[in-house]
Amino acid sequence: MGTVTVQLLPLAIVVGLFALFILSGLRTRKRHVSEYKFAGGYTSRVGIGAAIASNWMSAASFLGLAGMFYLKGYFAMAFVVGWTGGYVLLLVLMASQIRRFGKYTAPDFVAFRYESEVARTLAAVIAIAISVIYSVAQFRGIALLVSWLFGIDYTPAVILGASLVVSFVIISGTLGVARNQKLHYFVLIIAFIVPLMLLTRKLGYFWLLPQFGYGTAIVDLQQQFGFAWPQAFSGTSLFAWLALCFTLMFGTAGLPHVLSRFYMVPGIRDARWGLVWGLFFIALIYWSAPAYAVLARLFEASAGIPYDPSNLAAADTIILSAATNGGLPLWMTGLLVAGGMIAAFSTVAGLMLSGAASFSYDIYPRLLRPGASESDKVYAGKSFFLVLALAAMVLALQPTQMMIAEIAALAFALAGNTIFPAFLLGIWWGRANSTGVITGMLLGISITSAPLLLGDSVPLIATLLPATSSAFLGAPLVILTMMAVSLLTAPPSQKIRSFLTRQVHDCEEE
Amino acid sequence: MLKYDQDDVNVFRCTGPRKRPAIRIITLVLAAWLLAVVGSQGAVYFLEYTRQGTQLAQYTFFNLPISYWLTGHFLPLWFILLCVVFNLWMDRHAGGTPDGALRFRVRGDTDKEK
Repeated sequence: MGTVTVQLLPLAIVVGLFALFILSGLRTRKRHVSEYKFAGGYTSRVGIGAAIASNWMSAASFLGLAGMFYLKGYFAMAFVVGWTGGYVLLLVLMASQIRRFGKYTAPDFVAFRYESEVARTLAAVIAIAISVIYSVAQFRGIALLVSWLFGIDYTPAVILGASLVVSFVIISGTLGVARNQKLHYFVLIIAFIVPLMLLTRKLGYFWLLPQFGYGTAIVDLQQQFGFAWPQAFSGTSLFAWLALCFTLMFGTAGLPHVLSRFYMVPGIRDARWGLVWGLFFIALIYWSAPAYAVLARLFEASAGIPYDPSNLAAADTIILSAATNGGLPLWMTGLLVAGGMIAAFSTVAGLMLSGAASFSYDIYPRLLRPGASESDKVYAGKSFFLVLALAAMVLALQPTQMMIAEIAALAFALAGNTIFPAFLLGIWWGRANSTGVITGMLLGISITSAPLLLGDSVPLIATLLPATSSAFLGAPLVILTMMAVSLLTAPPSQKIRSFLTRQVHDCEEE
Repeated sequence: MLKYDQDDVNVFRCTGPRKRPAIRIITLVLAAWLLAVVGSQGAVYFLEYTRQGTQLAQYTFFNLPISYWLTGHFLPLWFILLCVVFNLWMDRHAGGTPDGALRFRVRGDTDKEK
């Protein structure tokens, strides 16, 4: 290993911002902090929106999207559309209704609606798998940033990053810190937009709205350096684009930690309007991310750096490359690194705690140790948190040909193939029953894993069900299977059907 | 069995004066959502791969090539707009009264709440 060069100023900014969050959390901590760590700060619909956006922003959004655009050009727009369009599904089909169930986790919802402990366990296992896969993407992002900060290789950076995440969660938990999510989003958006504005200004483009200003850079790249990203659908098909886009949409409406957000908001109307604000705040980042990729390539081309699409790690840190090649001051690059670290840390902490809660609440006391006391469950949750962190770390150490956004998309595919159909039919079709949902979720798991296990040997599977995009065909298939199996087996109880009719949908009998 | 059918929630066979218009707005929003996503990509395909389209693709909108603007900018904006329309409709029809929010309070687990 070469000489270790620590980036002291950026490191100080990262540490300073984390300290600010902890202090701010200590100041604003509530007496009744939610067990699932989503409480605090719901003072307005804008505040709810900021909390939704802050909860959503991860390394995949902060680092991965720009990296995808840098490598794949127009194809990366499927991420922008998929990660925003899913919120429409969430709003019109689920946000109001799941709130009325009064259940706080996805497995809890599934168990109550389908009156099945087997379905609960399956949903809990899926929620844990989603947490781990999504966390692997975050660990990869954290490791790349830690590697840049400390000047170390990827492998020690993963281990150091994982240790930092565990320490962060322990410190936050010990101090009872609830995240101040408005401040969190505010810092994230500043850290992302301000360096971009400065870069755009340096190049003489329309810097006040760099989200539009980068269009000129695309033209300049083509005219001055003869560089252009492939035309839309030239390197890939329209089917592949739509498959990825719809998988991300279905996954958005099926991710347990996203759905959890709507159980916690005080009122339904606030939840609905908060979601709109959240979508706007998320879109602000997604409108900006491609600009980083375009400017980074322009700086590279100006400096005579060749385009290397095989270097995935470099693509995943393209926003840092844009900042350094663009000559931004080191503290500004530090701000970008801090933003990426904050996004990844908070997401991974939320995911791990959500996964640990699924184990300690839905699996441990029901399957492994019936009659476990509250303190047993707490210990089980804490122990499982460490197991999850270890699993995600080990997986992040494995060599992969997937980028951060693609690993995250895998989690979306699993959620889209399993939790999304279970919630959709659970809310909108009273006839859906436990046998149907269990069959559906098992089929969803099979569909998600098929391209990973059989994709190389059966090309048709890889074509129709790409690993990151399997829910496009998978989710409708699961829904149809759930319907067929439900119709062939006994209907759910009168109690749950009446609950759906009268308390979830406010339907009146004719 | 008849009793079961009447009680059953079914999106294609919804009853009740409040529910039917709600289903209608949800269907309209989803149709607009689907049409925008698929239609925009059809338009991008047209711009890239037809002779007439290639000429149109030379133009830019807010500095951006039309295909980038249409997909990367317009669609997220369209989704926000759809959500606003849906919420306005819901506020007016489903929760128009001052206590509309209270009507939607969690009722699923009332025993636990108490």
